[in-house]
Amino acid sequence: MGKKVIIGILAGIISGLFSTGGGMILVPAFIHLLDLEDAKARGTSIFCILSMVVTSSFFYYRGNYINWRIAILCAIGGIIGGYIGAKLLKKLPTKILKIAFTIFLVYVSFKMLTS
Amino acid sequence: MSEILIGLVSGIVSGTGMGGGTILIFLLTFFMGIEQHMAQATNLIFFIPTSIVAILVNIKNKNVDLKLAIIISIFGILGAIIGANISLHTDVNILKKCFGVFLAIVAINEIYSIVKKYRITKNTNNKTKER
Repeated sequence: MGKKVIIGILAGIISGLFSTGGGMILVPAFIHLLDLEDAKARGTSIFCILSMVVTSSFFYYRGNYINWRIAILCAIGGIIGGYIGAKLLKKLPTKILKIAFTIFLVYVSFKMLTS
Repeated sequence: MSEILIGLVSGIVSGTGMGGGTILIFLLTFFMGIEQHMAQATNLIFFIPTSIVAILVNIKNKNVDLKLAIIISIFGILGAIIGANISLHTDVNILKKCFGVFLAIVAINEIYSIVKKYRITKNTNNKTKER
């Protein structure tokens, strides 16, 4: 139970702070600390992140940070893209995806730190 | 129109299970010049409809441990209240730097896990060759 409390609070803080990144904590924590299999770890994490995202949304909304025009346009693209991505996932090897994602992370991290 | 395109790219990345939120925030801030907090708020709204579809599919495929999900959600909500309030009271430049540090930590962890996995497969390949 103690582990679950810490994992939940930590993922929540990261999710609230950056609005993203909850999954980057939850998925490895579920696999390595709670012994969940990969697919179940991913499925369970999205459920948890949604509850954190809805909570954060309330505070960002109250702070007047939501631009509905941009958000809705992005979401429209996102729904179509999500469908394409899920189809692609079955065709691309995980190793290449992982390496591409890591290179991207290093790049964004560098950009954020130097901007 | 560029918003739809940015959403499309981020959606594709999300669909493959990698951090779609990171790419969305990055594209919004660096290519459209949107302020970090607003980009993060956009990501929140972006996440809701896309994730609901994914959750329903996952529940149907029995890939959600509901009991664990509820426990983590309760503490996650507490954490999110803390995190969101800290974020909204943090200066944009500091927030960006913190985000950069967080991504660097995740990247180092990814590199470590890729190297470890590669070594294991390499070793087992060698062993099968010896046999």
